[in-house]
Amino acid sequence: MLEARNLTKIYEGAQAPALDRLNLIVPAGEVFCLLGPNGAGKTTTVNLFLNFIEPTAGQALVCGIDAAVDPSAARALLAYIPEQVMLYGALTGLENLQYFTEISGAEAPRDTLLSLLAAAGLPEDAVRRPVRFYSKGMRQKVGVAIALARRAQALVLDEPTSGLDPLAANEFAALIERLRKDGMAVLMVTHDLFLAKQCGTKIGIMAQGRLASVFGADDVDHLGLERAYLDLFARAA
Amino acid sequence: MSDLALAPLAAAAPAKRRWRVMRAVAAKEWLELFRDRRLVWLCAFVVALMLAALAFGYVENARILSEREAAARADRELWVGQSAKNPHAAAHFGQYAFKPLSPLALADPGVDAYVGSAVWLEAHKQNETQFKQARDGGVGARLGSLSLAFILQTIAPLIVILMGFASFSGERESGTLKQLLSVGARPRDILAGKALALIGAIFALLAPAFIGAALALLFFVDRERLSLADQFIRLGALGAAYAAYLAGFAFLALGVSALARNSRAALVTLLAFWLANSFLAPRLATDAARAFAPTPTWQEFRAGIAQDKAKTFGHDESHPGFVAFRNETLKKYGVTRIEDLPVNFRGLALRKDDESGYAIFDRHFGALQSAFDRQDALRAAPGFLFPLLALRPISMAFAGVDSRSQFDFATSAEAHRRDIQNEVSDNIIHFAHDNTYVAGPELWRKIAAFAYRAPGADFALGYSLLPVAALLGWLALAGAFALFAARRLRPV
Repeated sequence: MLEARNLTKIYEGAQAPALDRLNLIVPAGEVFCLLGPNGAGKTTTVNLFLNFIEPTAGQALVCGIDAAVDPSAARALLAYIPEQVMLYGALTGLENLQYFTEISGAEAPRDTLLSLLAAAGLPEDAVRRPVRFYSKGMRQKVGVAIALARRAQALVLDEPTSGLDPLAANEFAALIERLRKDGMAVLMVTHDLFLAKQCGTKIGIMAQGRLASVFGADDVDHLGLERAYLDLFARAA
Repeated sequence: MSDLALAPLAAAAPAKRRWRVMRAVAAKEWLELFRDRRLVWLCAFVVALMLAALAFGYVENARILSEREAAARADRELWVGQSAKNPHAAAHFGQYAFKPLSPLALADPGVDAYVGSAVWLEAHKQNETQFKQARDGGVGARLGSLSLAFILQTIAPLIVILMGFASFSGERESGTLKQLLSVGARPRDILAGKALALIGAIFALLAPAFIGAALALLFFVDRERLSLADQFIRLGALGAAYAAYLAGFAFLALGVSALARNSRAALVTLLAFWLANSFLAPRLATDAARAFAPTPTWQEFRAGIAQDKAKTFGHDESHPGFVAFRNETLKKYGVTRIEDLPVNFRGLALRKDDESGYAIFDRHFGALQSAFDRQDALRAAPGFLFPLLALRPISMAFAGVDSRSQFDFATSAEAHRRDIQNEVSDNIIHFAHDNTYVAGPELWRKIAAFAYRAPGADFALGYSLLPVAALLGWLALAGAFALFAARRLRPV
């Protein structure tokens, strides 16, 4: 489970908070999609859950562990897929997966890792090629395989489908749905309203560091979500 | 459960986890290093350079050794080939004491080229070593030679810096650090893994050079004169000192890389430190040591000895000291005339004068060496910050080519000179009836050839405690800095 309690971040020298008393809960088996324009505080939220930055106030909890108090323990339960999954270019997809799995402290035989890459949709002929020859979609799939290999309980995604072609984005959405069904708590930051509607069980819209509104995915259709988003945008402007 | 959760993945036992992370990081670093052909070629070039320096050192040492042995043989022939003459005249004829070359000079030539290789042993006078190669070698010799020690002290840290400067900053720039930390790896475990990889690379760099040096020792060491085991102990001590020196650079590179904003800033910072350590600190430390522990000029030194020697009587029979000694001797033997003494008075007077000189030489040469020791200590003390200042004296001490080793040789040569003086004076005392007395070749042969036995590695360790402590301080400080930097590691 992921939980933000009055989570606040004011960057050094900034006038206004980048994140202002955010409260949200993402239980197991739920995909919470955070929408919002640039500068709304979405990526700051992700970075706080990973403790890549320190909160000014409040708590980011991963399965009850405060990420600021014990970042390594919190991260051990959390998988992260950024907009660009950064891997070691000189290493193959399999070697990258093996490395990140070992680093996380998990044990996985080679056959299991190969199965995970296959399950994440990486073509078989790509597995032993250096990652510097991979497309963005292939890197994202290695990122998913890393999350699977680590058996993380929660997943944080930051613009995971940005720059992917529609087919690759659709495959990725299907992967997220399967992870949710496995009981993972998923927090996904995106600009993509269609992806949010497709994957999310809950959708939140952020503006100026605040969670302005939250919808159940079944309570709103694509058009309604777009209207709500644009209204909020217009008010903020 | 979907097909995504495949085989069960056992969580590692906490005790094993850290080691596994370290090992995985080190293996990945090695793999990347190996696949980056530029670094592999650079390391291969440095190894080739070290082996070439070692080979040159071997050839040069063999040449010097053979020259010195030939010179010592020729000098001995001259000594024993003297015609019949008064033994004291033979003492004035003199002979050389040649310093045998330390086998490990093939790795570190030390100060040998600057302090001379032979001492002229003559009556009444303790001389300094002479025949300085640097003086005869022209500008090229003064610039220094490409020795294994120079490569390890100056070029090897540069290689460690090039291998380590982007360890963290490069990962931060490429985004992999974010990915790495996001999986829950602890920064200090990542640091330990990267340090393990770098130190492994250092050992890979050092191993060929030290194996080469060990093989060279097998051929080079004169086992009748030197203990091979002692030479290997010395080589082991050198290996440990160089490993500590370079491991400190590995920690420093990792720490700077973790704290720097980007790889360029890390590289510039580390190169600035390398320049300061390699070129600036040794010169500043030498100047400071000279200022705080000055040594006399050669002229001042010799003038001081001459001033004290003037108080002894030498060959001056009107000197009050001579007159007093003559009176004491006559009284001791209960006679009133020199001619009535049962022994030769001239021999007694020579021995008395020599003994008066020994104390003077011991005092002046001892004071000079003490000043050099103080300078060495002042130079080595900041070695925990600039490790070359600590490493260089350790390297020279265990290679047997430092000023203390030179002093030990000079002391041994002086002891031999005194043996010669005592032998010829005794011969005069017991066999000369008047000033026309002459001795023959049997006396010259009776005086043994000079044979110097260098002290063991424990001698070098005994006076190297300060630089050893400074070098360990450097390693500890660099390690602590790297840990501190790892704690502050941020992926963005």
